[in-house]
Amino acid sequence: MNDSTASTGTRVLGSITLVGFAALLLFGLVLSPADAAQGELVRMMYVHVPTAFVAFGAFTVTVAASVAYLLRRTEWWDLVAHGSAEIGAVLLAATLVSGMLWGRPTWGVYWTWDARLTTTALLFVLVLGYLAVRRLPLDRDKRAGLAAVVGLLLLPTTIVCHYATTWWRTLHQGPTIARADPQIDGLLLFTLVLGLAVFALLYVWMMVHRFRVLYLEHRVEDLGLDTAIAERRREASGALATPRPATGPVT
Amino acid sequence: MDVTPRTAPGSGVGAPPAPSRRHRGRRGLAIGLVLVAALGAVGFLLIKQIDSASLYYYNADEAVAKRDDLGDQRFRIQGTVVDERSAVGDDRLAFTIAFAGTRVEVDHDGVEPSALFEEGMPVVCEGRWSPDGSRFVSDRIEVKHSSEYKAENPDRVDPAAP
Repeated sequence: MNDSTASTGTRVLGSITLVGFAALLLFGLVLSPADAAQGELVRMMYVHVPTAFVAFGAFTVTVAASVAYLLRRTEWWDLVAHGSAEIGAVLLAATLVSGMLWGRPTWGVYWTWDARLTTTALLFVLVLGYLAVRRLPLDRDKRAGLAAVVGLLLLPTTIVCHYATTWWRTLHQGPTIARADPQIDGLLLFTLVLGLAVFALLYVWMMVHRFRVLYLEHRVEDLGLDTAIAERRREASGALATPRPATGPVT
Repeated sequence: MDVTPRTAPGSGVGAPPAPSRRHRGRRGLAIGLVLVAALGAVGFLLIKQIDSASLYYYNADEAVAKRDDLGDQRFRIQGTVVDERSAVGDDRLAFTIAFAGTRVEVDHDGVEPSALFEEGMPVVCEGRWSPDGSRFVSDRIEVKHSSEYKAENPDRVDPAAP
């Protein structure tokens, strides 16, 4: 029996992702040139921008899966929404940290309350709140429904965060590639797109594993319930011979 | 999950106290506190957002036009550095920024700006108009780099290289 959440598909995907990261390191640190204005500091872009983009994508998946859950009420959509939000939270944390490390030497400050940074902080707090809802000790269906409703809040916040540099005056620079006339040299652009692809692969790989772990957690929970009921039935029939085994909720 | 009661009818044996109820209550409280903290943080950030970020800076020409309204209020001003910076003292800098044809003299006394600070770079300075309104007195400079990226000219010698 397979005792891990890996499968041939995820192993292939994981290997491609690893190779992709090796290529990203090579292009990001060695082959791509320094920027005319920022020098070597531009290399932070190859982590900062992809993690932000993929985090936005992850939250979009959570929103779509939340809508699907509210319509269909199936476990599958609930698990997709949950897993995607978790991975998105990790990626957004990486965005915040890499952004601060990039901001200090370029802007001169780690942090400032401009529209982009503020809405990113807001989005991060919101997704942490969403993940807290996902841990509420409620009936599973009730919790899933509540989480799906809270998950919908990620949509306006993600959109506002993404367009913050366009809608308001910010210290943060505007879009580089999400515009009609990207102003970025060839090899820098290639490395950035490579970073996007590699982090997107990482997201998919993590997503498959996280989905499977969450699914197994639910099965363990079901098993715990079945065991608890069976025990009580035994006790009721007077067969109280063995000490009670620990069958608390497995979470 | 706890499927109480554990005492079978007529068994006469007292069930061990269900430990999970208190555990669950405590856990619920902890999660509730996290939720309240999260909501509080969201509210705080929203207010921050409306308060300061919706208008992060005035461009130099706007700040000059609104000079009387701004008085000694603290605000941010944005413009492109147009003259070579002149070091006045230890942490002090004097330079000129310009936006849309309006020039503003800036006296900066505070943390040294980042290495990207130079002529031609747009900067955001935080501070207030001097009492006579002739200069902007700043204590924080943020260099606002663009979203355009160009390979460094390989023929240019990097002065920072060892």
